[in-house]
Amino acid sequence: MATKPDLALDPTSAPVHGPRAVAAAEEQRIFVASQWQLTWWRFHKHRVAVASGIVVIGFYLIVLGADFLAYADPNASEAQRSLMPPQAVHLFDGGRFRPHVYAVKGARDPLTFKRVYQADPNQKIPIRLFAEGFEYRFLGVVPTTRHLIGVDGGLDAGKTIFLLGTDLQGRDLWSRLMYGTRISLTIGLIGVSMSLVLGVVLGGFSGFYGGVADTVIQRVIEILRSIPTIPLWMGLAAALPRDWSILQIYLAITIIISLLGWTELARVVRGRFLALREEDFVVSARLVGCGQMRTIFVHMVPSFMSHIIAATTLALPAMIISETALSFLGLGLRPPAISWGVLLQQAQNVQAVALSPWLMIPAVPVIIAVMAFNFLGDGLRDAADPYGR
Amino acid sequence: MLAYIGRRALLAIFTVWAISVLSFAIIQLPPGDYVTSYIAQMASTGSVVTEQEAENLRIQYGLGQPMYVQYYKWVKLIAGGNFGMSMEWRRPVTEVIGERLSLTVVVSVAALFLTWVLALPIGIYSAVRQYSLGDYAATFVGFIGLAVPNFLLALVLLYLGFTLFNAHIGGLFSLEFQDAPWSLARVWDLLKHLPIPALILGLAGTAQQIRIMRANLLDELRKPYVVTARAKGLTETRVIVKYPVRVALNPFASTIGYTLPYIVSGSIIVSLVLGLPTVGPLLLKSLIAQDMFLAGTIVLLLGVMTVIGTLISDILLVWIDPRIRLENT
Amino acid sequence: MTELRRTPRTRTLRSRFTVALMVGALSAVVAVGALAQSGSKSPLIGKLEGPEVVTDPAKAPKRLKEAPQLAELVKAGKLPPVAERIGQDPLVIKPLQEIGKYGGTWRGGFTGPADFWNGYRCCSGPDNLLFWDYTGDSVTPNIARGFEMQDGGRTLVLHLRRGMKWSDGRPFTADDFVFWFEDVYRNKDLVPTPAAAMSINGKPGEVQKVDTHTVKFKFPDPYYLLPDVLAGSTALGGQAHQGLNGMGGYAPAHYLKQFHPKYISKDDLDKKVKDAKFDNWVRLFLFKNDWALNSELPVLTPWKTVTPINTPTWTLERNPYSVFVDTDGNQLPYIDRVVLTLAENLEVINLRAIAGEYDFQARHLDLGKVPVFLENQQRGGYKLYLDPGDYGGDMIIKFNLSYEADPEIAKWMNTADFRRALSLAIDRDQINETFWLGTGTPSSVVPADSNKYNPGPQYRKLWSTLDVKKANEMLDKIGLDKKDANGYRLRTDGKGRLRIEIMTLGGQFLQFTQISEMIREQWKKVGIDLTVQEVERSLAFKRTAANEQQLGAWNNDGSEHLFTFPNHVFPFDLSGVATSGPLYGRWFQSSGTQGKEPPARLRELMEKWKKAFGMPEKERIQLGKEVWKIAAEEVYIIGVIGLGPASMGVRVVKTNMGNVPSRQYNSPDGKTPTISRPATFFWKK
Repeated sequence: MATKPDLALDPTSAPVHGPRAVAAAEEQRIFVASQWQLTWWRFHKHRVAVASGIVVIGFYLIVLGADFLAYADPNASEAQRSLMPPQAVHLFDGGRFRPHVYAVKGARDPLTFKRVYQADPNQKIPIRLFAEGFEYRFLGVVPTTRHLIGVDGGLDAGKTIFLLGTDLQGRDLWSRLMYGTRISLTIGLIGVSMSLVLGVVLGGFSGFYGGVADTVIQRVIEILRSIPTIPLWMGLAAALPRDWSILQIYLAITIIISLLGWTELARVVRGRFLALREEDFVVSARLVGCGQMRTIFVHMVPSFMSHIIAATTLALPAMIISETALSFLGLGLRPPAISWGVLLQQAQNVQAVALSPWLMIPAVPVIIAVMAFNFLGDGLRDAADPYGR
Repeated sequence: MLAYIGRRALLAIFTVWAISVLSFAIIQLPPGDYVTSYIAQMASTGSVVTEQEAENLRIQYGLGQPMYVQYYKWVKLIAGGNFGMSMEWRRPVTEVIGERLSLTVVVSVAALFLTWVLALPIGIYSAVRQYSLGDYAATFVGFIGLAVPNFLLALVLLYLGFTLFNAHIGGLFSLEFQDAPWSLARVWDLLKHLPIPALILGLAGTAQQIRIMRANLLDELRKPYVVTARAKGLTETRVIVKYPVRVALNPFASTIGYTLPYIVSGSIIVSLVLGLPTVGPLLLKSLIAQDMFLAGTIVLLLGVMTVIGTLISDILLVWIDPRIRLENT
Repeated sequence: MTELRRTPRTRTLRSRFTVALMVGALSAVVAVGALAQSGSKSPLIGKLEGPEVVTDPAKAPKRLKEAPQLAELVKAGKLPPVAERIGQDPLVIKPLQEIGKYGGTWRGGFTGPADFWNGYRCCSGPDNLLFWDYTGDSVTPNIARGFEMQDGGRTLVLHLRRGMKWSDGRPFTADDFVFWFEDVYRNKDLVPTPAAAMSINGKPGEVQKVDTHTVKFKFPDPYYLLPDVLAGSTALGGQAHQGLNGMGGYAPAHYLKQFHPKYISKDDLDKKVKDAKFDNWVRLFLFKNDWALNSELPVLTPWKTVTPINTPTWTLERNPYSVFVDTDGNQLPYIDRVVLTLAENLEVINLRAIAGEYDFQARHLDLGKVPVFLENQQRGGYKLYLDPGDYGGDMIIKFNLSYEADPEIAKWMNTADFRRALSLAIDRDQINETFWLGTGTPSSVVPADSNKYNPGPQYRKLWSTLDVKKANEMLDKIGLDKKDANGYRLRTDGKGRLRIEIMTLGGQFLQFTQISEMIREQWKKVGIDLTVQEVERSLAFKRTAANEQQLGAWNNDGSEHLFTFPNHVFPFDLSGVATSGPLYGRWFQSSGTQGKEPPARLRELMEKWKKAFGMPEKERIQLGKEVWKIAAEEVYIIGVIGLGPASMGVRVVKTNMGNVPSRQYNSPDGKTPTISRPATFFWKK
């Protein structure tokens, strides 16, 4: 496992100046660098992975600040605003930087049955930063009414801007998207954590002890993987008790998804354990007298920690996609909950595609998030074992 | 070697039995049964099924009996080669599935073919030019299939196909060829309908294959023999293609086994949206309707395919790579 | 989720845009409102019209003609001549616009073997013994040439048509009725529980043969409603509808005898069962009597199944022995074949209709897609029509009056003013505009003004307008005046906020869940916290049967035929995914021996309804009006939007199809479009 870096140098012949000296100094750094530092340097080479990491952090900032970033009550419906296209933001008003939108009037055309909206260039609504809007608790603690942007008199749901347009019930899509992001990404996290725990524990058991435990667990994994997921989801979703609140159902959904996700992680962990079992340092730890627990947690686990992190990061996008698929099937989160899956489900019809395509915008964060997590995970995995290969 | 195969086969049989029990249980998990589903469906189309009619139906379908009795009846049927009667279709289950099986295989194979055609070159390029712009661009294309919610994409493509190309909506055949006997024209019609499903489904699988290909090739490229080949003056292409790629392809042989269940079921969601007459939507509908025998048989079929596929994969792996063989005995 | 809290900040209308937006919104609302209130809503809703059945034998055509391919077969000696095939008493229909031309195929779409109503609605004739005229108002003869009520309403005499034949050429006579009654209906294996339609006041009736062409339905008590029952989609509504359940009123004796244990030996029957891979002879028999599944079944419908419903294409072809003719003597149908292709999901069906792949399709089309349909009319070569229903509730909310699990909630749901207040708090115009595109009518549960049981125009808006102030007052008055910090009313038993729950189903013709979401926001203004729970169909059914649901969202189509479709008017029985009181339904069905006795006013409603069954028409109409009066006053069920086209009222028809009405009577009893006699549709070349 632990092989030396490509270039070997004889320290006694090390030069003192010039490019070779620099190279030698570089090598010296590599030799004494810790495992984590090496991992970081390797990771750093994968530019897109780094960029993805930033994107992911950005997403989780949205999760924290969803209320702040939203400016309208995501549930406030108004038929007269139904299916309004995104409003164009005009940045300059008569030469000065004053972002504003035009007021909009809408009616249903009796001949085409479409809702038609007219922007009135004479009615300018200025956009204010840190404007007042509906009340919420920032980070769940601080009650406030300030949002990132908004308009004067923004407490009335009818008087805001609509950056991404509205849905069928006239609810602001941007605000709904913010809340949807929060729920979709937290489902991902919770689900992945559960998969992680299950995967590490069961995979570890399987790999470390081998024998009967291994066979049994492997068979269980195989059986679980043989059953098509959709029937399993359907059965479990339909069996949930009736009086659970949206929150409880949402938790149950994550448990259901993670119940199937742990098998992949378990395989990776098992593989690692199997490989590490025979390594010199493990054998020596045992010979020296370390207890089993200590051997596992102090010596073995750190050496494949990075693999675990990589595998976990790669499991997240699968969670996100499962959530959208479940909503499509009507099994996952449903209205009035808001998640990416729910928003996509409301765009999954001909009239949205043909007449109100902005309803499909929630697909964009899904794509970005999944890509970002994938690139990040790939980068982490490439960097996972800097001594490796 | 033989002992290994023997052991695995025995375990496989046990797994299949466990799957049959589980499949049956899962189908029965949702409350109610076929009759409640039928009644609910009738209600939503404005007709009323009275309690009396419901009772009659239950008696006729034998749904009043406890689950293990029904399971036992099912197993007995299967042992006799009869997979039961689909309550919704009122036809033998084998007929209902059989009708769709060949088309399902065609679509799945087309999708898999597309996956490989896309994934292998991208994987190779990505390994050879690691961290370059081309690498990022290529993997981006590879991953996009995974990231885009494919049910939405399917609907959009359906609609665009109609508005831009006047294409026939969904399905695998145009109206005139729907029930016609097989002919060259019908095959051509089928081929005309395949690209959209194959594309959507194929793209979804590329990410995984790209990863595997890239990882394998990277492994190989660091080996000393590659350095030697280069030093000896072989052109870069020959260096890569002649040995490393071939060796990197070896593990793929084993992944073929895992695609077996997919070939048989196809995708469920995309097929549903595109209106493809494949096994996937059939499974979904039978689950919703709680059509016991049909759903149970399909789930069992998929389970068996998975087990067989895993078995084949494991055997292939052992056969190809002697190191694993030694490790396992 | 965040709560919308009204701070005590005063809203000053200082910015011009606010005024402008409000004026704009207001004028839009007024415009839409005006459109909604007016009778002729839009150019998409035409005038109610349809073909008429000519009952006067003197006006019957003298010479009968047939389709060219049938004439060929007659010439080749394979078919008897048309006069012989139809008999002396053809069923004459006067086409709506003109005499049609023979030929062509009618393409449609269906969703699978459960979509029986699709082909049944378009192509079954109808083969009811009696049927509705195109207004859905009065019963006219159909398969039966004539009928009369005798013996104070206890006996219905049906006169059959002389020389009428089944689709395989064998005579259709009273023997087919006797066979059905004695050997099918009375056979406890085939029909384990007797049908409610065949009894009056709990006492069963019988079918008797008078002579070859005359049949009597005899009952111990007056049963004046029987003609309506025969004309509707009930257990006695003809073979196509009910043959698969062993009902219908008649059955092809000569064909079905070969599958019946009374007429063949047990061994022979067992062999047949085994060959067909069924479990028992009952399943085999019912399969053989299934109009949509068995292409060999002799039928009376104008088209008969050729490739059954459980294949990817459901094809029906003309019945050479069809007894339907037009006023010129041409044997109907004009159109040779009907081809229904399978579509795996609803979006695909709608897209195909948008693309013009269907010739006449009124089923599964989504009202929300109307703008897309309109956009593509020219390209697809079709025209879009809207057929509003006559029932008061395209969307209704049922209170479970017999709910027991939570006594506090049960108490409020049984308080009339609570229900009324909730009804007043719904902003129906908003819902109409968003989900019905303005084509519905904000309404209580009562049927259309033209319906004979309608109690009066003032009931349309009774408790069904938007009056938040009054609603709040009413709720305060009944004792729910304490509110919590967020403005929600508190329970009187001290257990916190008053929360009620509505159960909805996804994937229906209407988006019940989304509409309920809107209502939830509206009910916040009166301090009621509504939880919306969308569930799977089977689960919904189970909860209803177990008396677990509080509120249920559904529609009340069929209720315009109050006496044949009462399920959505009061708790009639346990079937269905939402009843307004399962325990009361059980009480009603068991004549008081099971379930729970309903409160006085509801009992009164039920009693009136039951009594009307045996009354002659005039008295029955009066009782029907009283039933609706009680329903509208007590608001057992909240009517949200009614008289709308959401449920099978969106219709696309190719522009070159003739004899198609501009508006049809949209009703399950009318099996729309059967009520427009599709046998008279034809292709204008």
